[in-house]
Amino acid sequence: MRFFLAECAPACNHLAAADEMDPEVPQFEFEARLKAVWLHAQAGDEAAYHRALMLIATRLRAYFARRLRAWPDEVEDLVQETLLALHVHRATCDPNGPVSAWVHAIARHKLVDLWRRRGRREALHDPLDESLESTLADEQPARHDLRVLLATLPDAQRRAIELIKIDGLSVAEASARSGVSVSALKVQVHRGLRKLAALVRDRP
Amino acid sequence: MKTDELIAMLARGAGPVPRAPAARRLLPAVVAGTALAAVASITVLGIVPASMLHGAALWAKLAYAALAAAAAGWGVARLARPGASDATAWRALAGVVAVMALAGALDAMAAPRGERVAGLLGHSWSTCPWSVLALSVPALALALWALRGLAPTRPLRAGFAAGVLAGAVGALGYALTCPEQSLGFVAIWYTLGIGLAGALGALVGPRALRW
Repeated sequence: MRFFLAECAPACNHLAAADEMDPEVPQFEFEARLKAVWLHAQAGDEAAYHRALMLIATRLRAYFARRLRAWPDEVEDLVQETLLALHVHRATCDPNGPVSAWVHAIARHKLVDLWRRRGRREALHDPLDESLESTLADEQPARHDLRVLLATLPDAQRRAIELIKIDGLSVAEASARSGVSVSALKVQVHRGLRKLAALVRDRP
Repeated sequence: MKTDELIAMLARGAGPVPRAPAARRLLPAVVAGTALAAVASITVLGIVPASMLHGAALWAKLAYAALAAAAAGWGVARLARPGASDATAWRALAGVVAVMALAGALDAMAAPRGERVAGLLGHSWSTCPWSVLALSVPALALALWALRGLAPTRPLRAGFAAGVLAGAVGALGYALTCPEQSLGFVAIWYTLGIGLAGALGALVGPRALRW
């Protein structure tokens, strides 16, 4: 709650009451809240998209925390990995269907993928402590640093992401600054984020 | 990077979402796969005699393959969208196969009793499914590549659907070279070839469609 209110002020000043972040809201209510901003987000409304991702992140955190009691350290990494995956695949969300079903399908896919990989790699590791639920309600630090991963991207992709996604330049400004065409920049950003999503997935 | 920083980064300059991503990726793959299957079929196996143009068999094969491809392609597009139901697409595919099976059965019933088995086996029953499978390989590779750019969360099903789509495309190409006249032959051996391609897709899908 604290980080949310403190750090996203410009993008979500139409944020409503704090209880909206309650992860225990029923599915239909989550869907209603998400749908209200999602269509604007898909049409290009940045603030609405920011708000949608915040709603989704809270939901994901609770969802993964309940299912990753053996690996509480994985929760925030998986939240971030799933958010990246949702972002790079957001065109596959059916505008006529429920958004929450789309989010849930991708979250489950990422969870099963993690179980499969961890199961293979750490089959001999027993969970030592099953009573960690109480610590999982809030955001834990992610163990990987996306900035470090970002630095490993090909130069053109990294540069495009830095200009547009981090420095916040418009595509036209970024194009003027870098001398790369607008369409090429958009492609580089998209490819870079896809690559980043793959890198996060392959983390050790 | 904290999660809220990541969210801010993802939202910044995100822009509107492109429309119909499944169709934009799948259609070129299917068109290219069909062209490759047709060219390979005609150049390697030779084109059917012109007399086939006046019979029902060639058109029945083309229609069957095209409708099966449409139904399977619909399934692939549904499976490329997380959370979307693919049930109706499978029902449509089952309907296409059922209609072909019915037409094949009626055709076989109409033939004289002694010629039925010969008509169903034709001259090429032992090679037809394998040829369909071979001609489907380029389309399968292209369809899986298209799917990799989308978001299949059920890779086995998505692989199977892509395989059936590719098999139907292979059958479309094979129809250009196949001289068989009996609809019963098409109902059995074309369907088997499409099924083999589906099995290949289901085998490859879980490996090829990881993300």
